[in-house]
Amino acid sequence: MDLLSIYNMKYKDYDIAHFITDEFFIQWIKNPTDNNSHFWEKWMEQHPEKRQLVTEAANLIRSVKYADNPEFTDRMYVETFEKILKADNHFRQNPIGPTKTSPTPTKKVNSLFPVRGIAASLLLLFCIWAQYEAFNFKTDPEPIPEIVLVKRANPAGQKSVIDLPDGSRIHLNANSEIEFPREFSNDIRLVSLTGEAFFEIEKENRPFIVQSGKTKIQVLGTSFNVNKKENGSLYVALVTGKVSVDTQNGSRMTLEPNEMLVLEDGGAYRKTGFDPKEVIGWKDKYLVFKTSSLSEIRRKLEQWYGVKIELKGDFDEKWTYSGIYKDEMLENVLRGICMTSGMNYKIDKKQITITNPK
Amino acid sequence: MNHNPKLPNNEHSTIYPLGHSESIKVYESKSDVDIWNAFNKGDEIAFNYIYRMYVTVLFKYGCQMSRDHNHIQDCIHNIFIDLRRKRGQLNEVQSIKAYLFKILYRELIRKSNKSKEEAHQYPENIPDNFSIEFSQETKLIQQENAQEKIERIQSAINKLTCRQRQAILLFYEEGMTYKEISVAMDFIEVKSARKVIYRALDTMKTLLQTKSENEG
Repeated sequence: MDLLSIYNMKYKDYDIAHFITDEFFIQWIKNPTDNNSHFWEKWMEQHPEKRQLVTEAANLIRSVKYADNPEFTDRMYVETFEKILKADNHFRQNPIGPTKTSPTPTKKVNSLFPVRGIAASLLLLFCIWAQYEAFNFKTDPEPIPEIVLVKRANPAGQKSVIDLPDGSRIHLNANSEIEFPREFSNDIRLVSLTGEAFFEIEKENRPFIVQSGKTKIQVLGTSFNVNKKENGSLYVALVTGKVSVDTQNGSRMTLEPNEMLVLEDGGAYRKTGFDPKEVIGWKDKYLVFKTSSLSEIRRKLEQWYGVKIELKGDFDEKWTYSGIYKDEMLENVLRGICMTSGMNYKIDKKQITITNPK
Repeated sequence: MNHNPKLPNNEHSTIYPLGHSESIKVYESKSDVDIWNAFNKGDEIAFNYIYRMYVTVLFKYGCQMSRDHNHIQDCIHNIFIDLRRKRGQLNEVQSIKAYLFKILYRELIRKSNKSKEEAHQYPENIPDNFSIEFSQETKLIQQENAQEKIERIQSAINKLTCRQRQAILLFYEEGMTYKEISVAMDFIEVKSARKVIYRALDTMKTLLQTKSENEG
């Protein structure tokens, strides 16, 4: 049954109204902690008949969003932070600034050379102040010309978007890590990647190079996906522009849009086409299974949701599953998968058990 | 942790690199009251943590109150400067997020009194403020008239007042408690927050019912 129609009909019903006005329940949906998860999971175990209702209330709560969703870019993040700290320095200087120290010297000189004395002391103070400012100005904003590397890492269950200093953007997948300099040098833009990321590269003269293991992927301005799997295979999928890939054994390959290069760990490689949703949908929150085996599903879910999945019982090795979920909660995905396969699942916090009763 | 060689010199205005996770490690298990106290005592890592954790949500929230995003960035910048200057005499804070939301709201009101620009008006006077998008993204359950139903809920939401939408968003999008909502919206009593939410849901219920009856 559709939850919207339930929302329509059953709003009078105490149950759903209770859930969507219960702050403790909402906390669990929006910011799950060990504490509230423990409570609600236990509660659902005791009231299995309410499971459906809980999922519906959760969906309803999660459907309410800001219509306007501007992004606070990394650049704004750093800019605002630096401005706040800078204002701090000004404040610290002002209370001990030149004006407060002026009365003592001026008074003494005043009696002898009134006007000139004031002028002289003001000049002197101005010089002291100017030097002070100049000194502060010199030491403060001038950065040390050393390359500061920034590292961003996502654990399983978390993705992020990173804006680089040149305006390029990186979507970093879960279980992945990227390292780049806070400022790129004058002739090259080099980043190093572990795991998977989608790159939207701003076009300019400095080449952009992604280092993944010993392979270098070089571009000028383009968008593409790089995925180094746990078995060592590297997948480079090009969406727009042109990329060239330098492999560890010295060969260079170029890719055209909609082509994907698969580099096996041993050095073998092949070019194929690819399904964009399957390969790069993750950055738009699409979780895609395309004739996926159970072990593939397990690996994907573990990475996507940051959970551990245990398989119990015998499973048909030929069984595969296809399905697309957008920004969906784990429970719904599991339900979808199990519904078509007859398997059962059990969620215990971050530990999932999938069983096959057959 | 100041002995950690990775940390920049503390004498200098400390700016931690974006990937720096020291502040998270130190503070993620502490309560808001403790973090706020540490900040009040001048702990820079506590400030770093507060900034990291809340500046993005604060910006997003601010943008619901004005379309001028630079203006919001300025206001955020102002409130943090102000907080840093008042260190040593700050009051206890139970929920940092709710408190920051409140002072940002107040800052916007303060600015609107001085400004004639349309985008800097009193937050409640800007018609599209706190717009809600009701989006059902469940692909699992496909129904023929799902889209139409979403639209019906959306149009009921659109009939709520600005303050009601604000409360609903704080409740569902931000996941705040009634107590936090009352702080963020600058209510004196918690029950005012409850009232706003209940009334909003009630309005929606009535709107949805009359519509479905008309159609049925």
